[in-house]
Formats: sequence, C-alpha cells, structure tokens
Amino acid sequence: MSRGRGPWVATLALLPPEAAIGAAFLLLIPLISLHRVTDFMIFCIFVLSFDLLYGYMGRLSFGHLLFLGTGAYSAGLFIKYASPNPLLGVLAGILGAGLLGVLLGPAAVRATGACFALMNLAFNHIGFFLVLSPLRAVTNGEDGFGIRARALWLFDPAGKTSMFLLVLGSLLLVFYLLRRLTASPFGILIRSIKEDETRVRFLGYNTHLFKWLTYVIAGTLAGLAGTLGALNYSFVNPNVMDVQGNVGVVFACLIGGAGSLYGALAGGVAYMLISNFLAIYIQRWEIFLGLSLLVIVFRFRRGLWGSVQSTLEYARRFEEVRRPVAGEGA
Amino acid sequence: MIYTLLYGLSMGAILYFISVGLSLTFGTMRVINFAHTLTYTIGVYMLITFMAALQGSFLPAAVLAILAVIPVSYLMERFIIRRLYGESLDYTFIATFAITLIGVDTIKWIWGVNPYPLSDPLGSYLRVLDFTFPIYRIIIFLVAIALFVALELFFKKTIVGKIVVAALEDKDGVKCLGVKVDKYFSLMFILGSALAGLGGVLYAPISAVHPYMGLSVLLLAFAVVIVGGMGNPRGTFLSAFGLGMVMSITARYWSQGAETMVFIVMAIVLMFRPIDI
Amino acid sequence: MLAVKDLDVAYGYARVLHDVSFRLEQGHMAFVIGRNGAGKTTLLKTLIGLLRPRRGSVSYQGQEISGVPPEELYSRGMRYVGQEKRVFANLTVRENIEIPAYASREPLGQALARVTAIHPKLGSLLDQKAGQLSGGQRQILLVGRALVGDPKLLLIDEPTQGLAAVVIDEVARILRGLRGRVSALIVEQNLAVVRHLADRVYILSEGKIVREISDPSEIADTRGMEAYL
Repeated sequence: MSRGRGPWVATLALLPPEAAIGAAFLLLIPLISLHRVTDFMIFCIFVLSFDLLYGYMGRLSFGHLLFLGTGAYSAGLFIKYASPNPLLGVLAGILGAGLLGVLLGPAAVRATGACFALMNLAFNHIGFFLVLSPLRAVTNGEDGFGIRARALWLFDPAGKTSMFLLVLGSLLLVFYLLRRLTASPFGILIRSIKEDETRVRFLGYNTHLFKWLTYVIAGTLAGLAGTLGALNYSFVNPNVMDVQGNVGVVFACLIGGAGSLYGALAGGVAYMLISNFLAIYIQRWEIFLGLSLLVIVFRFRRGLWGSVQSTLEYARRFEEVRRPVAGEGA
Repeated sequence: MIYTLLYGLSMGAILYFISVGLSLTFGTMRVINFAHTLTYTIGVYMLITFMAALQGSFLPAAVLAILAVIPVSYLMERFIIRRLYGESLDYTFIATFAITLIGVDTIKWIWGVNPYPLSDPLGSYLRVLDFTFPIYRIIIFLVAIALFVALELFFKKTIVGKIVVAALEDKDGVKCLGVKVDKYFSLMFILGSALAGLGGVLYAPISAVHPYMGLSVLLLAFAVVIVGGMGNPRGTFLSAFGLGMVMSITARYWSQGAETMVFIVMAIVLMFRPIDI
Repeated sequence: MLAVKDLDVAYGYARVLHDVSFRLEQGHMAFVIGRNGAGKTTLLKTLIGLLRPRRGSVSYQGQEISGVPPEELYSRGMRYVGQEKRVFANLTVRENIEIPAYASREPLGQALARVTAIHPKLGSLLDQKAGQLSGGQRQILLVGRALVGDPKLLLIDEPTQGLAAVVIDEVARILRGLRGRVSALIVEQNLAVVRHLADRVYILSEGKIVREISDPSEIADTRGMEAYL
C-alpha cells in the first residue's frame, strides 16, 4: 500500500497549495465557461477578505460590500478621468479602498458584535447613497458608467483570457499572502483577539492597532476584488455596493467554514454555483438559500471545509490506530 | 414648515410602531431580530387581501390583518427565535436574516413582485386657517400617542408588565421567584410583531407596497432602537419621533437624503455610546 | 430534605466544585463557610438551578432536581436569595412582593402580611421604589420576598455581608425566627451569626467540603472554624 504511494505524496506535498488551487480553477473552465470562472474567482477574493475579518478576527460586518464598491468606483473613476492604464487603475482601486479602511477603521473596530455589524451596515448604506445621489455628477448615479481601460502590452482588459489570468493571478497572490499572514505571529494575534481580547491586551499588545490593521487589510483586499470586477465588466454602477449583497458573502463564508482560507474558497465557489445555477432549476431559490442558512446556523456550523477537515482528521486517526508500530510495511 | 412637522410626526409614529417591538425583543431576549419587519410586510399584504375580500373597507381589513400576523410571529418565535437565546449575535443575525429571505420570497410567490397601489382610506382633509392636513396622518399620530399611553399603563399597572420590567433588569431574579419568564418574553415578542404589523397596515396607504418594503424600514427601525436604547420603550418613543423629524426636515432640503441622515445619526451614536453586547 | 451527592460543577474549563456531598435535614439551618472563591456561591446557584452540574446528583424531598429550572423549583418550595442583594429597583417594595405573590398564587394582602410580620418597618416603605432602600432594608426585603408562598427550603448567600452591626442583629433575629419552620442552607462569613444559629456547619475549601461540624459545642467554639476563613 504505502510503497507505491510514497513518491507521489512526497511530490504533491512539495507543491505549494496555490498550485492546486490554480489547477482546480482551471479545471472548472470546461464545466462552466471562462467568463463565469473569472466571476467566481473575483467573488472568492471578496470572500477571503471577509473571512479575514469575520473568521479570523471574529467581527461580523454587514457592510463589507462598501469596500468592494469603493474599490470599483475608485478604479473606474481613475480610468475614466485620469488615465486609462489598467494597472494604475487597479492601484487606484486598492488605494481608494485602503484609504477608506484607514479612515473608518478607528471608529469601526471599537465596536463589537451587533454594534460592529450595524455600524458597517450604516456605512455601507451611506456609501451607497453617496454614489447614487450627491456624487451623481461624477458617478452618473443609478445608471453607472462604462470603463474603457486600454490594453497594456499583452494584457487586454477587454479580453476574457487576459482578465481570467489577471484575476487568477490576483487570487493566488491574495491566497498566498493571507496564508503567510494568518500563519504568522500577526495571524495568531488576530485569532487570539477573537478568542479573548482582554487577555491579549493584558499581555501588552495594542489590540486597537491590530484590529485597525486587519480592518484595513480586509477592506483593501475587498477593494481589489471590486477593482477586478469593474475591469471585468467594464462597467460600474451602485449595485456593486448594494447593502443586500452582503448576505451573499456572509453565506459564502459560513457555508465554506469561517476561519479557514480553503473554506472561504469552497464557500465562494459554492455560493456562486448556487446563485448562478440554482435559480434555473429552483424558482424559489431564495427560500432555499434561507433554509440553508438556517440549517448551517443550527446544525452545520463547521461548513463544507470544516466537514472535510473533520473527515480527514477522522480518517487519519483511524489510519493511525489501524497501522501497527512503524517499521512494518513502510 | 407645518407640513414638514406633520410629516415628521406621522413618520415618527410609524417608526415607533415598528421599533418598539424590536426594542423589547432585544431587551428581553438579547436577540437581534433581523426578521422583525417581516410582520410589517405581511401585515400589509394581508391588509390588501382582506380589503379585496371585504370590498375595500379599510378598518375591518386592518384589524384582521393585524390578527393574521400573530400566528406567523408565534411560529417564528417558537421554532427559531427561541433557539437563539444566549446564542452569539453573529448567528442570531444570520438566522433571522434567513427568516427574512424565506419570508420575502414567500410573499413574492404568493402575491407577486409588483407593487400594489393603495390610497388614503379617508381621503379627507382638515382645514385649519390656511392649511390643509390629511386627516389620515393626524390619526396615525394619535394612534401612536394612544399606544404610548397604553404601553406606559401596561408596564406600570399590570402584573405582566411589571414582570417584564423586573426581568429586563434581573432575569434570574425573576426566575428565582417562580415566574416562567421565557413565556412572558415570548408574549412580548408576539406583541412587538403585532405592533410592527400595525405599523405596516397604517403606513401602507401612504407609501409604496412591495415585497422588500420590510427591509427598507428595518434598517430605520434599528437606527431608532440604537439611538433610543435597547429595551427602553420610552427611549424608543422619543427617538422614533426624533428621527422622524430628522427625516422630515432633511427631506425638505435634500429630498433623497432623509434615510441617510438617520444612519449618520445612528453611526455617530454608536461611536460614542457603543452598545454592550 | 436535601441530599447532595458527588456534585461537580465547572465554569467552562475551571472546575469549581469537586465531589461535594452532604445532607440537610428537615427544619435544620445549616451554614456553609469558607474563603472567598471556595465555591460557596456556585454551590447555591447550582442547587437552585441557575447552574448545571457536570456530575453528581441533587435530590430534594426525595426527587432528583439537578437540571430543573429555578421557576419550577420555586413552586416546590425552594427559595434563593443571592449575594448581590439585587431587588427590582425600578419597582416599588409592594410591587417587588407582588411578583412572587403572583407566581405562587398567594393573595397580595397575605404576602404583604408575611413580609411585614418579620420586619414591621417595611410596612411604611411599601410605596417606595426598592432601589431607594438602604442595604439593610434591601436584604430584609429579599428575605421577606423569599418567604412568600409557603417556602420549605431557603438558600441564602451571605445575608449579613456589608451590613452595619445593628442591621446584622436584625437579620439574625429574623433568621432565628425562621428556625425550625423552614429548612435553610446559608452561606456566611460572620462566625458570630453562625455560632448562634447553626445546627450544622460545612466548611468549603477550594471546591471541596473539608469538614462537617454537627456537635453543638464545637459550633459554639468558633475557633475551629476561623482557620478556614
């Protein structure tokens, strides 16, 4: 049993997880089409950013879409009024979202629980309103505006393949960064804050600063997702910041399993599949979504990835018990 | 300017009906009920159905609609809210939002997505000096005052009211005196939901009726409760009218900013007085 | 009347009570003494059903009651007066008594009579908001409130804590009046009170009962107990 598997496992273990993820998304293409996979991946980036805030730091925001939208609008407005260079546009988007995180952070992270959720909801709503009405001159209000970024060398923002590769690259980069971040002392600190903030403060850490930083990072990554979305659709309108969209990311995070990066990916893909395809088969898919959420909350908190982990754990333990003392059959 | 005042008062009244139940539910059960305004929406649609059945008479249809809301809220409480006692607020948030999703989609299923037009059931006006006021709005305001008085009496004079007041302060203490507190909290939940239904029924003729109307009001209700204090019926009364005025005055100068101004107020309040959850 | 066996209670990961076992006879007044943090409050809270034990059994009047909620235990005659001296501050004294009267279906007049019988001065305070009472008056109100509805077992947590000497005497007098009529398990740190009232003393240290004193002369001589406080 083991002799044949050994080298295979060893090789696979050397590859970084990003490779596997990239491969997985590539495999999805023939199943769902390139354009859709790009969509999925953009959403996954958004879910990852949300999971950092919710799964790792334990703060549920019901307005995270604000950052997505800010990224989209920052990029869009930059490309429209400043320069059609897509790369600079992406930077503008990220900066815009990040700046917003820096501004709102100090007030936002002082709150916890429902207070935090509702405050972010309020911010989201205010942001939505701002692009809809007072800033209408610039943002073109409800109708939104088109984005025409020019091609850069081999990268053509109008081209599906280019966008796919850009988004895939971004997703893998984000995943890698988050993987390193969450495994680092910073990540451990964040998780400790979720567990028991008072104790962390007693250990001498300025938790406010770390929470702020996490909020900014989460916001910035969400902004990246928004930026990519804007480029992908060549279009921005207020719906990108619609408060109700927050349900999707919360659901995705939960169904995948909060607090795990793989879970965020699994959840993101699952939610996109549900919202894109379920509506075709089940007319009342929102009822289904609601029921699923209830099931998750009451019975299935670990989510998909959590279940996978539990099963693997169980299998591993089972294997250990079964296997006799090392040396035999190795 | 007088019209602004009247509009503010009637808006405040509606906010009061909707928010007082939310405030009570939170104060008693410590559950953030995101599905609270579902009964508001259901009340409205029931009103439409009953009015159609009763050939357009508003008052009996309204009463029936509010009564119809009660079994729905009972089911909600019995099967879901009750299980959320002591649960972390993230999950209560999500679970109650799930109820909203299911509820709204069911409404869409039964009644369709298109807005229903309803008109002012009285259609008559009061003429004072140079001003013409729709009587209907005045009546809404008066009903709110009546409700406030009724609730004050309820909490001060009835034994159930006193139990709730005591339990809001010291739930364990009341339990140790032999009172089945949870039963009374469930009752408060149903009462609050029925009041939200009342708010819907009264407001429907002067607003737009569509399946998502509950959600638009829900956020406002949260704002009212946060500004007024969770579990504080008097505070809710004051903040409902206060924010109603804010909306009305804002709408006069900046027509679309009314709701946003409410949220700005809420965000400011949250920053300086974070709720302890 | 009350039999506790191998009781284990924990808060999260912290075990507070270990293998606690004792019996309380009908009509007896037993005291639990011990240092702060020994687990005395936890013990009472578990007996009244506010906490669930990890292990062990509590039997009251022959029936297993572990896990039964406080409302239900109230109807069986158990009463709990907590350490925090919490009254319903926003309600009047009369209303504070009205609530248990309602719960036990006792006519309000009768309930009020019971309470004013132990401390007539309360009669003049009936319409005051309970939050305005002094510490001593509150404690007396709490004990009075517990007497509504024909109680059989009182669980009282540190009744004399924080009270002036004169008030302590009054509380002790009230407790003495109850002796023999109801059973009681009282947590106390004031050994003078213990000495005068106890039929039995349990010494709790770090979650375990380390001594049980039933000999009246030993109880009278409190030196043996002082070491444990």
